[in-house]
Amino acid sequence: MNYKIIVFQTTHHVLKSEKILEKAGFKFDIIPTPKKFSSDCGMSIRVDVQVTNIEDITKILEENNLTFKVYEI
Amino acid sequence: MKKVDARGKLCPIPLIMTKKALLELADNENLEVILDNETTKSNVEHFLRDHKMELRTTQQGKEFIIHVNKTGSIQENVSVEEFCAIDSPRLNNYVITVKRNVMGNGSDELGQMLLKAAINTIPDIDKKPEKMIFFNSGIELTLNNSPVLESLKKIENMGIEILVCGTCLDYFNKKSELAVGRVSNMYDILDAMTKTDKVVFL
Repeated sequence: MNYKIIVFQTTHHVLKSEKILEKAGFKFDIIPTPKKFSSDCGMSIRVDVQVTNIEDITKILEENNLTFKVYEI
Repeated sequence: MKKVDARGKLCPIPLIMTKKALLELADNENLEVILDNETTKSNVEHFLRDHKMELRTTQQGKEFIIHVNKTGSIQENVSVEEFCAIDSPRLNNYVITVKRNVMGNGSDELGQMLLKAAINTIPDIDKKPEKMIFFNSGIELTLNNSPVLESLKKIENMGIEILVCGTCLDYFNKKSELAVGRVSNMYDILDAMTKTDKVVFL
């Protein structure tokens, strides 16, 4: 399994991203931010890179002015 | 590098030995813990992970060696006893119930996200439940448009029984959309909730 984790600065950005990505038909999971990635926000988005292209996701999030960081687990 | 030989020792002694060795180590120094019991190995690993230590375990015959790098910190007064899991069946004697489609009260938008995150985490937690029960609007999570369907399937494949309230499926007219778990009735549900040690409500 190869996952990317998108970590945000606030819960509101997670919720907003969730709505945008859902609407765009992407497949992803909401998970608690893994302990090793320190963040102010406890929730993150997990993307299975075998199913979803991470660049497609980051592009659409950037277009919507969301701030985030992408990590690998 | 420091070595701890805890072969033949029973919990909590290996944990106490490991803790003592870690206290004597400087940051980023290495430690090897040698053990000969699977349960003790899991307990020590759990203890180390909880203290943010990097670890890698190798096995040689019946012996385990946990290679630790002191990446975390540890306090003298930390209790190790709570990490002593008893040799027990694979699953723990408790049940998780999902009684609503949100977790907690206040904001439903937030509650939905919390519930998704909680269910997506269950496959990764150390102490897994023996059963999960879904009722009232909680059943939405078990339908074929559920955002956590894959996690629930994973959970079911781990041998955790998923019970879904049949009356509730019927009430919301969603019987044909059920995608994971077994349709059950109040007898099954109460049986499951009363014959376990602990019921966790999400």
